[in-house]
Parts: sequence; C-alpha cells; structure tokens
Amino acid sequence: MSSAGEPTLDALEAARRETGLSIAELWRRYFALGGMRTALEIDAFLNGALLAETRDRDVLAVALNETFAELGRDHRVPYSDDERAEAGEP
Amino acid sequence: MPLSPLSPRRADAFTVAVAFRPLVTVVSVRGEVDLMTASTLHAVLDSLLADGHAVLALDIGEVSLLGAAGISVISTVATRLTLQGGSLTVRAPGALAVRILELTGLGHLVVTTAVDADATPELAAEQVRGDHSWTVAPRAVAPLPTVGGAGVPARTDVVDAALRLAIALAAATIDGADGVSVPLEREAVIGTVAATNETVLRMDAHQYSTDEGPCLAAARDGRWFHIESLADETRWPAFVPRARSEGIASILSTPLMLADRSVGALNIYSNAASAFGAREQRVASLFASQVSGILDDATSFDLVGEGLADALGARALIAQAQGVVMTRRHVSADEAAAILRRDARTNAVSVLLQATQVVSSTAAVHGASS
Repeated sequence: MSSAGEPTLDALEAARRETGLSIAELWRRYFALGGMRTALEIDAFLNGALLAETRDRDVLAVALNETFAELGRDHRVPYSDDERAEAGEP
Repeated sequence: MPLSPLSPRRADAFTVAVAFRPLVTVVSVRGEVDLMTASTLHAVLDSLLADGHAVLALDIGEVSLLGAAGISVISTVATRLTLQGGSLTVRAPGALAVRILELTGLGHLVVTTAVDADATPELAAEQVRGDHSWTVAPRAVAPLPTVGGAGVPARTDVVDAALRLAIALAAATIDGADGVSVPLEREAVIGTVAATNETVLRMDAHQYSTDEGPCLAAARDGRWFHIESLADETRWPAFVPRARSEGIASILSTPLMLADRSVGALNIYSNAASAFGAREQRVASLFASQVSGILDDATSFDLVGEGLADALGARALIAQAQGVVMTRRHVSADEAAAILRRDARTNAVSVLLQATQVVSSTAAVHGASS
C-alpha cells in the first residue's frame, strides 16, 4: 500500500456513486482505458469481495476522474503515484 | 425497411445427405427445416447415433429456413452426443443462421469456416480434431467478432429476418391463420417489418393510413385485441370496411413488450370469423413473447455492441500509445500507463486524447512526455 494517496475502494465506490455511473458504464470506460478485468471483477472490487491491484485502481480512478471532468465537477480521486507526480517525474 | 415476404413453400425443397468420412460423419441438409421436415432430420440423426456415429458435423449451409423445430433438434442431438462422449458441430456459413443459433444458445456449436460456396464437407472434418475427444467446437470469443463485423449484416437485417422466421412459424402453427405480420415502432414511426403475404401487408397499411385498428391499438396501448367477427365490429369505422374488402373476417393482435413498454404487435389475420379459439390465443401469446425475446436480445446486443466498438477503438489507441512510450522511455507497461495519465493531466486532456497525440506525432511524444 502506498502512502501517496492510493485510491481506496471506498474512495472509488463513493466517486462512482457520485458520478452516477453504473458498474457496466464504469467498466466500459475502464475497458476503453486498457483495463483487463471483467465487469464482474470490477463489481467485486468495488464491493470489497476481491482485492484490486494498484494498476486497476489507477485505471478506475482515471475513468472516474474523466467522468467528473466531463460533468464539469471538481472532484478528483487520487492516484497511487500522486506525490511523485506532483514533485515531477521519477 | 422494405418488406420481402417469404417465398411460398416448396414441398421438395428439403433433403438430407449423409457422408461417412474417417473422422466425422457429415450430415448435409438443404431446404427448409421447419415443423414438417425437422422430424425427418431428427430421425436421420437418431439412426446415426444408434449406429454409433459419435462425431457428427451438421452442414446447414444450404438450409433456407431454420425454424424453431430445427433448432430444437440440433439442441437435443448436441446434448445427447455430448453426454455420450461424442460431439456435434454445425457448419453454417450464413450470418443469419449463426445469429439464430447464437440467440438460441447454440452458438458454441458453430464451426466458423470461411464462407466458400464451393467448400466440400471435408472442411468440417478438418475442424473436428482429436476425433473422439468430446469437446464441441471452441466457443467463439463473446462479443468481439460482432464489432465492426465484416460479414455480419446490419443488425436490423438480422432482426427482421429472425422476425420473418418467427411469423412464418406462427402462420404454420396457428390453425385458421391466413396471414401474420409484425408492425414495429422504430425511431417513433410504426411500420411493418415482417409479413407472411401481401394481404396482411395491406391490412397493416390500411391501419396506418386510417390511423386506427386493432394492431395500432395493441401496439400503442400494450393491450391485446381479439376481433372475432369484423362484420359485427363497430370500433375503427374507417379501417373495418377496408379490412372486410380484403376478405379478412377475424383478427388477433397481441402487443410486443420490450421492458414494460409496448413497441409493436403480432397480428394474426383470418378469412374466417371466430377462427381463433382459446388454444390459438394461447399459441399467439407464446409467439408474441418469443418475438419480444428476439427484440430484447437484439436491443441489448445493440447497446453492448455500440459501446464496445467505441471502447475497443479507444483501448487499441491507448495500447499503441503505451507501446510508443515504453519503447521511447524504456519503461514497463504500468509505468508507460502512468506517464500517459500524468501527461494527460498536465495537458488537461483525457488519456485518450493524450494517447492520440502520442500515436499521431513523434514530436508530440518528445514534447509531452520527455
């Protein structure tokens, strides 16, 4: 677990509810962004039934953040590498 | 969508041929596999099973109509063979036949071979490898082949063909039915998408032009209408005389429901009054729910298919961009994904747009991520 604001399941699920995306819609966006998990697995992640890898959490965070941006909302789910990103590239 | 009524049935159109090959027994069927002919096909397959032929390939490339009875035979025989350690594969070059088998849960039996009119049944033999292993044909990867599909006809074509098949079965099954049609609402306009003959097509048209009639009422209100005798009918005064002039005496209109909303109707017309008794009404409602099922499948298929086509395009582009970043920066796939994400954020664009820029311009790669 990174201390740099890795997106927690709670944060992801709260953000999903706030965007109003269904699991299927979120999965479609996640899939478009290169996510490799099935919609069923995403459902399981968000319900805490399956552990999500950092990579999948980040892709889900991108999907949600882009949805917020489309909605014109100023909400952002943090990424696993946020601190490094703020400080410049590794 | 222009209507093409089914051609009249030809009694001699149906044939079954069996070819015994070293690894597989090829059963080639041609013509119409409907209620009348399916039993013949079933009998042939049964006798092959009884003789111990466990690896069967059913070639339905020349089948002009695959009805519910035929599908039921394929399903039954496939199950029996699988239980006995054999296998049944279906070679069906037509996209429609494949779609029908998919809709009825038999898509995994289909062996996809190149559509080649001159191909001989040996093709099927090559497909059945490891002859006595009992795996049926490999399952096709679910939705991917349908996206951007070369060779897959436009969805409405497939749906309309499936509807024509359903109404042909309804016409053959329901005693007293002289014609069956399906008017459907598409893009807020109602129109006949399938009809068994010209008379019923005109019957539907009379209702559209007078803007009244049982089929429109069924489609609009989601209610079921049974006109036992048009001679005694007082509703729809503009439509009824036209209907009688076509020789129609009774009508059964059952609404087609899609997610609790009525989107059309299944109309059954008869030249005789009181043609539809309790049994016919029950069969009609069964067919109506079957047709609703076809529409429901097609609709969800549409939604998923369209969404996936976009998603696949985006995904491919992002994967390419990651590849470019990996090569240029000598990083792992995960690191490349993170770089794309950060660059997108820095540039205040979506990851997809960032990926597009990376792929479309080498200069952009250096500018944005180096």
